Amino acid sequence: MKGNACRMNYVAFGEYGLQSLEMSWVTGKQIEAGRVAASHFLERVGKVYIRIFPHKSITKKPLETRMGKGKAEVEQWVACVKPGMVMFEIGGVSEDVAKRALARVSHKMPVRCRLVTRGHTIG
Amino acid sequence: MVSKEMVLKARARKEFGSKNAAKTRLAGRIPAIVYGHGQKPEAIVLDEHDFAEGIHHGHRLFDVEVDGKREKLLVKDVQFDYLGRKIIHADLIRVDLSERVKVQVRLVFKGTPVGAQEGGLLEEHLDRMEIECAVTDIPESIDVSVKGLKVGDSLHARDVQLPQGVKLITGPNALLIACHLPAAPVVEEAAAAVEEPIAPEVITERKPKEGEEETEEEKK
Repeated sequence: MKGNACRMNYVAFGEYGLQSLEMSWVTGKQIEAGRVAASHFLERVGKVYIRIFPHKSITKKPLETRMGKGKAEVEQWVACVKPGMVMFEIGGVSEDVAKRALARVSHKMPVRCRLVTRGHTIG
Repeated sequence: MVSKEMVLKARARKEFGSKNAAKTRLAGRIPAIVYGHGQKPEAIVLDEHDFAEGIHHGHRLFDVEVDGKREKLLVKDVQFDYLGRKIIHADLIRVDLSERVKVQVRLVFKGTPVGAQEGGLLEEHLDRMEIECAVTDIPESIDVSVKGLKVGDSLHARDVQLPQGVKLITGPNALLIACHLPAAPVVEEAAAAVEEPIAPEVITERKPKEGEEETEEEKK
């Protein structure tokens, strides 16, 4: 995995987004933890959009196992996140609430993040 | 509406390619292209600070001086870096002041809707709209009041009050904003009622042969 995000690097659905500043695999558990953190904080107000999905399977051999005997079992599923990718979005709430909710989500992410708002492009 | 016309100084660009463009950006300038009116496209270099300042202040029309020759140029497209922080390239189109152009204009939703006080959620579907207007009358943004929105109500492009001389290009039925109640929460009881997952069948497990089964029975 190399390079920066050429797509998914803008806020598309909500009004505020959480943008990754680093490159990493984000596991399904981490995404779920972020979603739970945001929805618990928002208390059914606003809407949370998850822009990433763990499509990639990661296998791992069990401990104290000899090499060989074929491919190991799938251990986890991850999303490949590149710098600039907007991972989470929030809509329908004020900037202050969105900022605090996304700060909670960022604690669950394995990458450094920043808050972004809608509207960079000029047509 | 931005009435002030901004003057930018530029110079013709003779070095092309990504490496030269990167060098230009490091020096605090932006590579740009000028085209339109059936003339030959011209590659230019703009000052990054001045151009970005103009863009952030809502300017669309620039008076660009390229090697002593002045032209009225309209910002057609702006490219940002992967983080959306810095401008890396701009497309400028030649225009006449008498001409009418199609542009995308930002929508600013103003006020707190009635529905929000009833527990409704405001969902923005579009944040910009395409309009046609005179080059000199391009609005910086269009204000849309959402005060009257109740739960279940929505605003479409046709409902927006446009300034005089401005024509709507976006489809009139395009949904801009809607107010609705948030989705009902997932009942956790249903999840709790599900029994514990049964261990999956091990496909590779060694199955006893017929003879072995017999011996086990004999043992019993």
